[in-house]
Order: sequence, then structure tokens, then C-alpha cells
Amino acid sequence: MACRTVCQLLQRRLASSAASVRLSAAEERGRRSAVFSREQARQRSLYPRTEKIEVTLQIPGLQGTLLVMNKGLSTPHSCARHLTEWYVTSSALALVDGKPWSLHQPLTQSCSLSLLAFKDTDPLLVNQAYWRSCAALLGQVLQDAFKEDFSVELLRLPEVLVTSGAFCCDVVLDPQLDAWNPSEESLRSLTRGAQQLIHRDLPWEPLEVAPPVALEVFSHSSDTHLRCVFIHVYGTHTHSCLTSYLSLRCGDHVLLSGGPLVARTGLCSQYEVTAIHRLGEGKWGLHRRAQGLSLPLQQQAHHTVWRKLRSRAEKLVEVPTGSTNEAISDTLTPPSAPEQTPPQQ
Amino acid sequence: MRLTIQMLISHGRVARKMGLGPESRINMLRNILTGLVRHERIETTRGRADEVRFYAEKLIDYAKKGDTDEKAMKMANFWLTEKDLIPKLFKVLAPRFETQPKAYTRMARIPNRENLDKAAMAVLEYKGNPFPPLQTAKRDNDLTLINQLLKGYREQRAQQAAAKVEA
Repeated sequence: MACRTVCQLLQRRLASSAASVRLSAAEERGRRSAVFSREQARQRSLYPRTEKIEVTLQIPGLQGTLLVMNKGLSTPHSCARHLTEWYVTSSALALVDGKPWSLHQPLTQSCSLSLLAFKDTDPLLVNQAYWRSCAALLGQVLQDAFKEDFSVELLRLPEVLVTSGAFCCDVVLDPQLDAWNPSEESLRSLTRGAQQLIHRDLPWEPLEVAPPVALEVFSHSSDTHLRCVFIHVYGTHTHSCLTSYLSLRCGDHVLLSGGPLVARTGLCSQYEVTAIHRLGEGKWGLHRRAQGLSLPLQQQAHHTVWRKLRSRAEKLVEVPTGSTNEAISDTLTPPSAPEQTPPQQ
Repeated sequence: MRLTIQMLISHGRVARKMGLGPESRINMLRNILTGLVRHERIETTRGRADEVRFYAEKLIDYAKKGDTDEKAMKMANFWLTEKDLIPKLFKVLAPRFETQPKAYTRMARIPNRENLDKAAMAVLEYKGNPFPPLQTAKRDNDLTLINQLLKGYREQRAQQAAAKVEA
């Protein structure tokens, strides 16, 4: 249902995109950040009076500890601050009532909380979240790297398994850069940009936004951006019409994600952009896949091991596409064509 | 030979000196090894435990040859000062380690001795002993990020090696 309204909004916007002035990339980012802040403030104002909730901790050694926190304001990060500094620095993700939850997302009801770190007995969720965060960081670095004259469009952050060796980010660069191939120097300067972001230790602020707000955040006079947004989302969720999207802000970049990311950029320690491969001509120009390799602060590798993993990360990582292409064509065909019935909600 | 200062500096020398001389060292190790075979878990100083490890494992290798073997029986007779342990060696310890090729012992470091000498201590045991397990240094679990990346790397190398063999 929500999917159909969103698709209809999309058609209307595509039809009327004729004579709008195109904002520069920096201004666009500022605008998105402003909309994000506005939505964040609005969601916070839903709880005018501080109500208390009870959070039970499910941490080994602290089973059953009860914390009394504020509703709509306290995050798992603030719960960790009530414990020791080790929990604050080492927790990457939280599990609220069994569901993965970003560390900086406010808690809305009494629940059970457990904090996940990289060295747990079962760090699968944390590993996936970390891989997603590194890919998001790569997307941000690529958007910042080029000059204002060249457009960089983030296509999607595909969900890749950790064992494949590298995280990927699909982008489409400006047509003027079609002949450009990244040299080692340019990869190194991209790595340096990523290291600067890591050094600044920016938190990834999560926000659950409804589809109209998501559309407003990402609305832009250029058609390709809108398409990119929905590839971004449909690229990570197959055939599911969501009632809310998870949007995250890091610094002044806002992006949509398929799952929770880790708490801050400072959790990464070794980070390198390893390669940018050409995927061939696609619907929006020359598709490229940027790949990188990263390890967190608690799991640093010796330089010999790092070198071996890095040489593996330079090779192209195959990502299963399949359902994402069908979803894209569904959103972009005109309403008269037979529509797929969305799943019952 | 020249009596140089280099003779007094022991850089790079791996052979340990124990007791009064080489013969005394062998006798000490023999006593410790007998204690190890009798009790299967003993506590000594770190240097001695490390020295005995080599001999303990070699003794098991000899014991695996069987008690009919001349050389094996002579070795067991020399190294075990308490002769009632010779049947235990051949009938209990050798069959226990039949499937393992090496690594029959485990050494774990423990806090220093309380005496005035504050000696660095270690516990040496034969694996498969009936006591509760010792706590040795824990390896990182296989599902951590770096171990998963290394697993993928190893699998890819194995695939490439297999492809080369086929071609």
C-alpha cells in the first residue's frame, strides 16, 4: 500500500521535473541534513514529558540488571555509559528484544537489551553491520572525493558476505570520467579521505523515516537521484514494501540503509580502498564497483596478514543481483502497465 | 682456547644449563619426567617444564614402538627411575596417543612461586589426563571478522590450487 503511494508520487515527480534549478552537491547535502534534523527533532518532540522505561540487561555477568531510562531519549549507548567505559568503547551493536538495533537509536518501550562486540561467541550480526558501515563510509568518501563539476551518484550498497573478502559500493560517475581509471595514487588518496573520516570519529545517527519523508530527503530535480534512492533501498530489501526506512546520517551525509550500522566511524582502524572496477554500461551510465577492506579496532591484523587479505580484496567481488532488477522496473513502469500486487501487510 | 668476553655473553645460545653440569641436568630431567609419568600433571619452574617437554614427547614416541622393541625398553628403563611406571607407559600412555602424531603434552604458565625466589612456574601435563581442564590462552573464536576473512582467503587459495591441479 505504502509502496503504491510512493510509486505514484515518484511518477508525478518524474513528470514535473522539467525546469528546476539543480543545486550543487554541497548545498544538496546541506538540505538533506536539514530535513533529517527536522525529522529528528519532530520525532523527539513526540515525547514532551520524560516517561520512564525499564531496560533489563542481558549481558554475561550482568544478567537481569534493571536500568531505568527515559522513553524516546535514551539509547543503548546511554545504557552502556551506566556500565563501564569498556562497554562504551567496545560495543558495536545492540540487540533489543532479539532485534538488531543501532547503538544511537532511542528506545521507545521497556525491553531487554544486550550489547554486542566483535569478540563475542556469535558476532555474525556485528560483522554484517560492520561490513555495511564500511560500505557506507566508502560511498561517503567517493561522494566527497570528486570536484563539484563531476557528479557522483551512489547506486547501492550491496549486501555482501564477509567471507567474500571485500565490501562494495556501486556508483555511477560523471560521463566526463568514463575514460578515467583509478591509479594507485588515487586509491591511496581515497584511503586517506576515509582515514580522515575515521579519525573524526563521527557517530552514525539512525532515524526511522516514513516513505514521504524519505522521498523529501532524497528529492532532487534530477531524475537519476530518485531512481538511485529506490535502487538503494530495493537493492537491499527484496520485494518488501516497508512502512519505514532506516536512514542514517554521518557528518552531513544522509543515506538509506538495509540494516543497522555500527555506532561510530572510530570503530574502524585499518581501512583501505582497494579497487574500482568497471561493471559495464547500465541504465544510468557506466556502472563502477568500488571495493575496500577494513578491520575494527579490536581485531587489527599484522601487516603480513593484511597484505594477503588486501591482495584478495582487489579482485572483483560478484554480488547476486536477481530480484533487485525486477523491483526497479516495477517502480519505473507507468501505472497503466499491469502492476505486481504488493504483499499483504 | 681464547678466554674472550664473548664467551661469557650468551646471545643466541639455546641450550639451557641446569644443575651442576650436563649429567646433573639429565638426572634432574629424569626425575621430573618420572614424576610426570606417575602423576600426569606436575608443577615445576618454567625452564624445567620447557626442557622436559621435549623428552616427554620423545618418550611417548619410543613407547609407541611397543614393549617388545629392544630400544624402546632400554629408553623406558633409563628414563623412568621408578620401575613400576614402565608398564604404565607402554600399556596406558602409548595407546592413549595412538591416533595423535605429536603434541602429547600441554604447558600452562602460572603465577610465580610464593617463596623468596619468586620463580616463574608452569604446569606440565599429558593430554587426556583425568583431571579438570587447565585454562590455557584462548584463541579467538572462528566466527570473528578477521577469522572469517582468513577463512574466505584460505578457501579461495584451495580452489585456485585445485583448479591448477586439474589444468
